[in-house]
Amino acid sequence: MALLEVENLEIAVSTQRNLLPVVQDVSFTVDENETLGIVGESGCGKSLTSLAIMGLLGTSPVRITGGSIHFDGMNLLALSEGERRAIMGNRMAMIFQEPMTSLNPVYRIGDQIVENLRQHQNLSHAAARDRSVELLNLVRIPDPSERIDSFPHQMSGGQRQRVMIAMALSCDPKLLIADEPTTALDVTVQKEVLDLMADLQSRMGTAIVLISHDLGVIAETCDKVAVMYRGKITEAASTADLFAELLHPYTRGLLNSIPVVDRDVEWLEAIPGRVPTLEETLTGCAFQPRCELATELCACEAPQTTQFKPGHSVQCHFAGQDRS
Amino acid sequence: MLAYTVKRLFTLIPTLLAASILVFLFVHLIPGDPAAILLGDTATPEEIAQLSAEMGFDRPLWIQYFLWLGNVLQGDLGVSIFFREPVLAVIGSGAETSILLASMTMFWIILIGLPIGVLSATKHGTWVDQITSSGAMLAASMPTFWLGLYLIMIFSVTLGWFPSSGFPSLSDDGGITNLRYLILPSLTLAAPNAALIVRLVRASMLDVAREDHVRTARAKGLHPARVTIKHVFRNALIAVAAAFGFTFAALISEAVVTETVFSLPGIGRLVVQSILRRDYPVIQGVILVIVVLYMIINLLVDLAYARLDPRVSLK
Amino acid sequence: MNTLIFLRDAFAGRKLATAGFLWLCLIVVAAIIAPLVAPFDPLEIDPVGRLTEPGWPNLFGTDHFGRDTFSRAIYGARMTVIIGVGSVLVALFCGGLIGMISAYFTRLGHFLMRAVDVLMAFPALLMALVLITLLERSVVNTVLVIGIVYATTTARILFGMTLKLKGETFIDAAVCSGAGNSSILFRHILPNLLSPLLVQASFIFAFAQLQAAALDFLGLGLPPEVPSWGNMLSEERIYITRAPWLLIYPGMLIVVSVFSMNLVGDALRDSIDPRFKDDIAGV
Repeated sequence: MALLEVENLEIAVSTQRNLLPVVQDVSFTVDENETLGIVGESGCGKSLTSLAIMGLLGTSPVRITGGSIHFDGMNLLALSEGERRAIMGNRMAMIFQEPMTSLNPVYRIGDQIVENLRQHQNLSHAAARDRSVELLNLVRIPDPSERIDSFPHQMSGGQRQRVMIAMALSCDPKLLIADEPTTALDVTVQKEVLDLMADLQSRMGTAIVLISHDLGVIAETCDKVAVMYRGKITEAASTADLFAELLHPYTRGLLNSIPVVDRDVEWLEAIPGRVPTLEETLTGCAFQPRCELATELCACEAPQTTQFKPGHSVQCHFAGQDRS
Repeated sequence: MLAYTVKRLFTLIPTLLAASILVFLFVHLIPGDPAAILLGDTATPEEIAQLSAEMGFDRPLWIQYFLWLGNVLQGDLGVSIFFREPVLAVIGSGAETSILLASMTMFWIILIGLPIGVLSATKHGTWVDQITSSGAMLAASMPTFWLGLYLIMIFSVTLGWFPSSGFPSLSDDGGITNLRYLILPSLTLAAPNAALIVRLVRASMLDVAREDHVRTARAKGLHPARVTIKHVFRNALIAVAAAFGFTFAALISEAVVTETVFSLPGIGRLVVQSILRRDYPVIQGVILVIVVLYMIINLLVDLAYARLDPRVSLK
Repeated sequence: MNTLIFLRDAFAGRKLATAGFLWLCLIVVAAIIAPLVAPFDPLEIDPVGRLTEPGWPNLFGTDHFGRDTFSRAIYGARMTVIIGVGSVLVALFCGGLIGMISAYFTRLGHFLMRAVDVLMAFPALLMALVLITLLERSVVNTVLVIGIVYATTTARILFGMTLKLKGETFIDAAVCSGAGNSSILFRHILPNLLSPLLVQASFIFAFAQLQAAALDFLGLGLPPEVPSWGNMLSEERIYITRAPWLLIYPGMLIVVSVFSMNLVGDALRDSIDPRFKDDIAGV
């Protein structure tokens, strides 16, 4: 059994009038020492999926309405709140997109790491502090024994994100969920943070779920990829397989729309149309209005997930076919 | 922190001076001879002429201002027409009452306002929240003197629990127990202010609860109570503490009505009576004292704000 | 049209706020048709029928001069409306203009805002008392005084809001298309401020009532011959034990009206552009 098994996950948001599905039939697994990338545009449901796994949907109007999440042999959805909290920050941890606002501005960073340590481990304040200095060292913060008393606003964006990583990994979790960890950072800093995460993974054997809208980041860091569009996984495979053969027109569109620096082009390629809003219910394939391969079949019947090749699944009636 | 304090002091002084100019002009804006006004209706022409010469009312206005300012800085705020005593002394005798009243009021405001505000925020959306929010708004809609009159009706006249008027000094017979004279007045004054604090605490906490760092705190598996207090409340406290300071500053003048209702010998009642008696030196003196106090309290609030929010002072 | 939609959305599903709004409409109507609905002349003295209990024909009883409290209450609604609307107009006009201009013309703005800061060093009630001392008691002066008191906060608020708008791209667009300063101020900025201004107006209306009542109570507000709810409380306070109804009715009227205004303001505030929400000073 894999470390993390998500099966047929369904998440919906309750509005004043009804229940709108935002994530449907999402399934994937992650093993130890493995990195899964979830890629998609804003609003496709990737963040909600990660929040659901972490247990942070809380009292919002968004609810898990179906499916299951198994982590380290436990059925997460069957746990009580207290049991769930015992796992959060401990055996499963999460880092977020905006390092500036993700750290509490009125407490020193050392205190925030210590808080996590003392919540889950029986450490004295002094011992927790020492461990925090070690952690800061691990994430390559210079002068950790001094910086431990800094406030978040006294550090750069990259440093803050590294502090977040230190805090997340403080209790040696088996799974780290990273929701767009580098999106708010400069490109050079991005590389540093991603390299750091890869390094820590090889040292600690942590499984990572990396969420991003940036295919480049995914290609560099992930072992396998799941592409999401409007709440469903449209294509999933190992990174190598995916980039070798892009089966879904959406995935192709994503790749083609990345501007290439070393070529002169007249037009930037973009996927025509826009992501439909939540209220716009669709019959058939969700991507159909924007797909160049679309036919009437696509408008009537939603494609099921098929194993096009072993280890490479896709949701498309015309998977793998070119524009003809 | 020190640099910030000095910087704030520097901006305070011009504002103080500007305000002092306005206060100075107050007497001169009243129609009539300033000396006659200051001495009152019973003054003889000789006394008027003498005061005119002394105060330099025949000199240019700006010279008069500096003379006046000079006097003020030495503690001479003039002489009260009604009491025939130095204004500063008259004000001083009312100070004890006003300060005690303001302090006791703040005590109730914090004691009642804070917990209810926190409760309202944590029970957001439930009937508890509805009742506390509407109740707070209702309390803030009451004229203080009306509330005061009814508290007197119920607790003084009918039940006889608390006295309804006056306030013997703490140094008189009774000592500390004389504070019971201030219970009804302070509750009256506290009600609308506590209501505003409830609303503010609620709004601040709800705003903070939406911020990213609270999500991080939850992701650490912290107990919800700990998240609420250490992360939501502590951050909301920044805005709330500032409000406490401004409330205290505003209490000084708001107490006017309450002191009148309960016949308390405080500065507020002094102002009103002086206005009715046309005791201009006292009016001018009290305004000056209150304005200076108000500004100092505002400064202290700013400094406290800097203390609570690390992002401010270390810029 | 936009304003109507804005109003309708603001009150949707908020029963208390809608009730408050209707109450206020009732007050305004009563104020306008007072002579038609008041059963008695509010100033008519009846030495024989003093301090009678509520009943028929005096629905709210009579006061210590024998005047019918119910009629006085209806005429008092006039003062409520006049003070409320008047203060709001003074505050919004003076304060609003100063605030907007200060934000728009930066150099002038620095100076004006410092002046406003100095005025704000005088607590509200104190400033009202000072101004009253210089003027004689009248309806106009009371409105003026209260309006000026709230003009300072309004100036600050409009200053903040205009600053936020000034930084928006559509202003740059207007400048590029050659719009002059007054055109930008009145055709681009002001329309966007109408909704928050409306919210602020409701809160000022509410505060003005409480200030006016306080001034009346201290004997420094409206002239005693003018029937107002505050005056009624002030004059009858010594009869609190003998004739408690004399204080209950006017007091309740004030409380309900102020509460209604606060509810309305609150409902409106939730419907306006979120970026202005923090600027509004209210309950």
